[in-house]
Amino acid sequence: MTPRPPRTTGWLFATPFLVFFGLFLVVPLGIGLWMSFTDASLTGAGGSTFVGLDNFTEALGDGQVWQTLGNTVWFTVLSTVPLVALALVMALLVYTGMPGQWLWRLSFFASHLLPVAVVYQIWNMLYQPDRGMLNGLLDLVGIDGIGWLTDEKYAMWSLALVTLWWTVGFNFLLYLAALQAIPDHLYEAAALDGAGAWRRLWSVTLPQLRRTTGLITVLQVMASLKVFDQIYLLTRGGPDGTTRPILEYIYDTGFTNYRLGYASAISYVFFGVIIILSLAQLKIFSRRED
Amino acid sequence: MTGLTRRGLLRGAVYGAGAAATASALSGCGSIAGSVTSADEIRYWNLFTGPDGDLMKQLTRNVEKRTEGLKVRTTVLEWGPPYYTKLAMASAGGRSPDVAIMHLTRLAGYAPGGLLDPWDMDLLAEFGLKQNDLNATLVKRSLYQGAPYAIPLDTHPFVVFFDRDVLDKAGLLDGEGRLVPFESPRHALELMDKLRRSGGKLGPVFGHSNDPAMSWRMFWSLFSQTGATFDLTGERAEIDEDTAVEVVRFMAELARDSRTMDVQTAIAAFAGGRSPMIFSGEWDMATYQSTLKDRLGGAPIPTFYDRPAGAADSHALVLPHQDNPDPERRRRTHQFVAGLVRSGLQWAAAGHIPAYTPAVSSAAYAKLRPQSEYAGAAKQLALDPPVWFAGSGSDFQTRMSQALDPAIGGSSPAKAVRTMVSQINTLLAQPNPA
Repeated sequence: MTPRPPRTTGWLFATPFLVFFGLFLVVPLGIGLWMSFTDASLTGAGGSTFVGLDNFTEALGDGQVWQTLGNTVWFTVLSTVPLVALALVMALLVYTGMPGQWLWRLSFFASHLLPVAVVYQIWNMLYQPDRGMLNGLLDLVGIDGIGWLTDEKYAMWSLALVTLWWTVGFNFLLYLAALQAIPDHLYEAAALDGAGAWRRLWSVTLPQLRRTTGLITVLQVMASLKVFDQIYLLTRGGPDGTTRPILEYIYDTGFTNYRLGYASAISYVFFGVIIILSLAQLKIFSRRED
Repeated sequence: MTGLTRRGLLRGAVYGAGAAATASALSGCGSIAGSVTSADEIRYWNLFTGPDGDLMKQLTRNVEKRTEGLKVRTTVLEWGPPYYTKLAMASAGGRSPDVAIMHLTRLAGYAPGGLLDPWDMDLLAEFGLKQNDLNATLVKRSLYQGAPYAIPLDTHPFVVFFDRDVLDKAGLLDGEGRLVPFESPRHALELMDKLRRSGGKLGPVFGHSNDPAMSWRMFWSLFSQTGATFDLTGERAEIDEDTAVEVVRFMAELARDSRTMDVQTAIAAFAGGRSPMIFSGEWDMATYQSTLKDRLGGAPIPTFYDRPAGAADSHALVLPHQDNPDPERRRRTHQFVAGLVRSGLQWAAAGHIPAYTPAVSSAAYAKLRPQSEYAGAAKQLALDPPVWFAGSGSDFQTRMSQALDPAIGGSSPAKAVRTMVSQINTLLAQPNPA
């Protein structure tokens, strides 16, 4: 047995990471927390005075905070459900023997590699009310076109659809990997016991995927709560603020209206909401595993 | 996994750390190097891209050539709310450019906070630019506590463009090819129906949906024509809501062929000949000119209500605040700006109306068409209310436009106005951060 290296070696290896982690995550987090108690302005005018909990009181009473938080949660629901369910269906179809697996794998995952600017260009064209492809197709079958991004009734659904198309490939890949990790002997045993294909799906495959589903759901909820880019590009939060996510409100408050202190406070309120949601999720999924 | 050895991994880690260190060192150096080499140059920030950008580059070069020892380093930043974020941060961080373009309507948010320095009018006069030679409405708006904090270069109004042939056929042009006057909103709508019947597939169009400003520009043009109260000086907004509802209703009627059109679609509809008339910024003139050629006509926003008015803003030159400005540099900056503003006639080629009045009244300008046809817009300027949160590229314009959009799409005008008023009151309740 070789002697254990001194404890410091491990830390030394972690140093490059820790330096960057500290510099670009921990320190800004701390500065942000401090700013949320001040009236700091982006313009630096008037210095920044300590204002105690004023920003937090304002945030809790600010209708825009609640409205945009509501929009964010609504988007999370609209996007997470199909992003988990459809990814599972796609993975099952590919795994249970559609021919040309590599082609499906590639095409389901390819859109995930596109930068958001390209996604915006593509979908902005598809959604054009007057000369877009979607309304063109509706027109062919004699249905009046709809304002995909301009009508309050449809805008959020349209954004969820874009997000689904863009990111479902990642969840699909996680599911596919999990499917491939299910040991074959389980299926063999089930088959010997006379279980049909549906039985095997319900009693072997899905239970074996539970942990993956938990993981994907947690990751997806986080990702959806963080939504900003595609909405900012496609609707800028419109029509009438119905798709404005809370991150855009924070951005507008801090960088367009220069109120960094207040924007930090809203960020921390949102941070709190995310922590509560994550803890709740963790609890739900760990209980299921028992 | 044969390629990955322990040694290779270690080397990778070292390179990684090295690259990271270099990256931070580089970003640290950039600004120092920049400030050393540009000691002699005037640093000029603007937001002009496309045809505007080319023209501004040319103008700048011309002024440089005419002026001995003048060198200008231009930084072009993308137009939009982030432009003002960057400008404010540069001013606050003490690394401001020597001179920058700013929308005149943003002045109210900048000057009182000490982000700008005032201009020396005597110095400008020495270089041939007198305050009297600038559009009076714009000059009035450029003052803060009596001192000029901005030198207007142009005004860029919201106007109307049309296809001469189609409008002539529909009887909407007078003997000299000008738009006939409208007696009332109702009369205007009747004429628009006539226009629809006499040809084009669509009536007048107006691109607005999901645009951060267009619906506000339209509303503000029409509302300003009524002369009704829109007072944002108190703690709560005082707005004549009945008139506002009436204006929104008319707006929706007027634009009923473009309920959900965005700007690009409306431009395509007009430039492609499907619609004979468009409410638009003059800055899109070049696009229309390329397809309509001589048929393209223009006019200030027609008067539908009691008095002429049309939403507009102005590109103005400002001095971002510097703690210890070098007098010689400031002098050269003044020289540059005087030269730039006096080049108004060349600047007009892009469509903007020069703020330099001798350029507008020149014979050469009269020959520029359709520019000279809508130049009257400079006499009926409706700039945004002078409050810190309004102006081009502001959150205010986005909120107003988003409130108005659904009403143009067909939902209740009263609801739109209620949303606008409540949004304004929210903004009024916030402290001015500058």
